[in-house]
Amino acid sequence: MFALGGVLAMLIRAQLASPHSAFMGPEVYNQVFTMHGTVMMFLFAIPFFEAMTVYLLPGMLGTRDMAYPRLSAYGFWCYLIGAATMVVALVLGLAPADGWFMYPPLTSTEYSPGINADVWLLAITFIEVSAIAAAVEVVVTVLRYRAAGMSLSRMPIFAWYILVVAVMILTAFPPMILGSVLLETERALDWPFFQVDKGGDALLWQHLFWLFGHPEVYIIFLPAAGMIATILPVMARTTLLGYGWVVGAAVSLAVLSFGLWVHHMFTTGIPHMGLAFFSAASTLVAVPTAVQIFAWIGTLWKGRPELHLPMLWILGFFATFVIGGLTGVMLAVVPFNWQVHDTHFVVAHLHYVLIGGYVFPMVAAVYYFLPIITGRTRFFKLGEVAFWLVVPGFHVTFLAVHLVGLLGMRRRIWTYAPEDGWAIINLVASVGGFVTAIGFALIVVDIAVNAAVASRGRRNPWGAGTLEWATAIPSPSYNVASIPEVRGRYPLHDDPEIAVRIARGEGYLSWPTRKRRETLVVGTSRAEPLQVAVLPGNDGLPFVMAVATAVVFLAPLWDAYRTAGVALLVVIALALRWAWSNGSTRDEGPLDAGRGTSLPSAWEVPDPPGWWGSLFLLLADATMFGSLLFGYAFLWTVAPAWPPASYVAPGLLDVLLALVGAAALAAGPRLAARALLASRGPWIGLLVALAGAGALTAAAASIWAARPDPTSHAYDATLWLLGGFVALHTTLAAIILAYVCFRVAAGYASSVRIGETRIAQLWCDFAGSTGLVALAAAWLPGVFA
Amino acid sequence: MRDVLRLSVPLALWLAGFSGVYALQGLTCSRHWPEDLPARPALLVGWALAVLLQAVLLWLISRDPSPSRFVQGTSLALAAVSLLAAAWTSMPVALTSTCL
Ligand code: HEM
Ligand SMILES: [Cu+2]
Repeated sequence: MFALGGVLAMLIRAQLASPHSAFMGPEVYNQVFTMHGTVMMFLFAIPFFEAMTVYLLPGMLGTRDMAYPRLSAYGFWCYLIGAATMVVALVLGLAPADGWFMYPPLTSTEYSPGINADVWLLAITFIEVSAIAAAVEVVVTVLRYRAAGMSLSRMPIFAWYILVVAVMILTAFPPMILGSVLLETERALDWPFFQVDKGGDALLWQHLFWLFGHPEVYIIFLPAAGMIATILPVMARTTLLGYGWVVGAAVSLAVLSFGLWVHHMFTTGIPHMGLAFFSAASTLVAVPTAVQIFAWIGTLWKGRPELHLPMLWILGFFATFVIGGLTGVMLAVVPFNWQVHDTHFVVAHLHYVLIGGYVFPMVAAVYYFLPIITGRTRFFKLGEVAFWLVVPGFHVTFLAVHLVGLLGMRRRIWTYAPEDGWAIINLVASVGGFVTAIGFALIVVDIAVNAAVASRGRRNPWGAGTLEWATAIPSPSYNVASIPEVRGRYPLHDDPEIAVRIARGEGYLSWPTRKRRETLVVGTSRAEPLQVAVLPGNDGLPFVMAVATAVVFLAPLWDAYRTAGVALLVVIALALRWAWSNGSTRDEGPLDAGRGTSLPSAWEVPDPPGWWGSLFLLLADATMFGSLLFGYAFLWTVAPAWPPASYVAPGLLDVLLALVGAAALAAGPRLAARALLASRGPWIGLLVALAGAGALTAAAASIWAARPDPTSHAYDATLWLLGGFVALHTTLAAIILAYVCFRVAAGYASSVRIGETRIAQLWCDFAGSTGLVALAAAWLPGVFA
Repeated sequence: MRDVLRLSVPLALWLAGFSGVYALQGLTCSRHWPEDLPARPALLVGWALAVLLQAVLLWLISRDPSPSRFVQGTSLALAAVSLLAAAWTSMPVALTSTCL
């Protein structure tokens, strides 16, 4: 994908190299730059660090695999199918052409007929599913699947960074997924969320997109920062200076970055005070960034650095990223922004931070971790040549792009006239760009050659201190033969023999006596061993389910809504089949976990891994709900064509249904769990909850009945969506409850095996509480009007 | 899990406060805001509340320390950052024009 994005970049530079270029016409050029941005951001940057994480994280944490291996597989297939769809669209000339941020009204049916925009909205949302899946899995893995004794203060620094990033994905992607849903329903069903004359507002898209978009740039930067914080101390033959400060900086950056989104909208006519809030917040993020940079410089100072290839790339990062950060602060100053917004200056800024801050560190990471992947020591030195092509080439290109931006060249124009005076600078930029591209190609060659023929290397070639280097290289698929007990941040330094001990089976869960794949679940802060989790075996289900999910998302491109509906049913059936294969029909009691401990199976605890996964998935869901309320409130306050002709007012019966329904949803699962604990049948509780789901759905349906036409005004469309959100979640709760009924009947529950009932409780609580809030939001304006 | 909350709640509530003040500002400039109600005092109160909330959190965290020294140190630092952020990022309510 990086290669594809790169080829597109070269096409752009070829087109802009000379004035009045006849290489591409505007239609093709629009598709090319849109796909370049989309591919780099969504198909390369995010999936690439996710892939590195899934591969490396379990080793760093000293565990056997990610928490949900089948979910990893499902995410991978979703990504692959989604990405392939985008590529096919590009080849067929059906690719999106409205810029990577897809602003309406340009992306509305009026100005973008044809399916190009729909390809973006549907395929990217589909790919987002895999990002969310990976994020849930990373959070649960870092919090619960670590080596014994690896308390929060002993976690490898990368684990901290990626934990922060995963939580950001769970809270940043939902606004954009919601935005895509709104825009797609507008395009497909004519629900007027962004049409000003019908009570919509195009600015709503910009808010939702940048609520995602700014955190997104940190979602991309922070994993790379985590790699630097991992690699730099090893290259300097020391340990990271100010570990606690770096963790603090990463956490603050993550949260602060959610308060910057309007700095992408400085020129939209928002009142000055609003702009000033975001300008202030944008300057503030320079502080934690500086803390990190100084911690790294201090680490170099304290150690004895060696200039291996990964170190070289990290130096390239420093030289580039600092400039990009500074142009970012310049852009955050409102008057300057008004001058250069939508010029090539912005293009230069974003490439300095994205390439300098992400690509360079990730190249360092690839070279650093190459021994784990290939088991070989690098021999041919093409990588150094490549470095000296890429970094200078990059600076030539994008320094020139800064300048041409200051000279007034707007971004996204397909050509320019010789009188504009931009010709020579653009030619320089293009030449630099081609040099950079040749350098990147050399890196690929270098890695391929060394992976194929370099000599076998020894374990832990860099002398690192973290657990991913404790295995033989290339690392085996189960990572560790037994799960170690660690006493410090750098276990390999604390105990040089630890690798041998792990291999000899001196840790936890060394012998597969129970003939299944097991791993250890620990407490979130102190990492004391708590449970024995069983990992699933190899399974084709994730692939089949990804294909079915693809049909759900992509069939609407051909208006094949019935096919999509059928596929959705298939997805649900497969998901239930998937869940069914977990669990056991008898109580095993405490299991021997090695080292003289015995622990319960994760199937016999109140908070099994599935409970934790549901909790964090619901965090994403809650953000989605919050974004929906935000959109509603936004239209209510600022959209010009409001208030609508009338507001909906609730009947007494509807309010009663909602209250009773939510109460039953809350009470039912608790009754059921209590009954199970007392070894009684849980049926009453489950039935109460099911009835509650029905009542709440009826209350939501009353809104649709009261306002039958969602196309008439954005208010009606919003009501439909609120009702839809409630009904979707009550339906999900009902499906889960029905599933639990079948599980109980089949013997999968007992007084210790109550985990599934508790998971149902989470989903019912969520459906009930969001249902009440959603209906209150729908009814309140009518009550007061 | 308590440790995770110690580390994350102050910053999360900074975001809530920041968004709240921004929303209030949007409201004061909309047709829903009563003509005769001055906007700036309301905004100043919003700012003060956001800062006060952070001060309370900082106090709570220092009073009920985590058993882990690392978590305690880091959560105090993050609570202090949130307090400063609340004071700094909503400062425009005192400085700029409201609805221009
Ligand atoms: C890792 C760090 C960063 C990355 C990856 C990044 C990425 C980006 C991207 C992709 C855009 C362009 C969006 C578009 O219009 O297509 C952008 C624009 C912008 N960035 Fe950054 N950025 C980073 C750091 C910063 C920092 C630290 C600041 C300020 C403190 C900043 C301020 C801005 C502003 C104000 C714009 C909007 C300019 C305009 O459209 O007028 N950025 N950045
Ligand atoms: Cu930004």
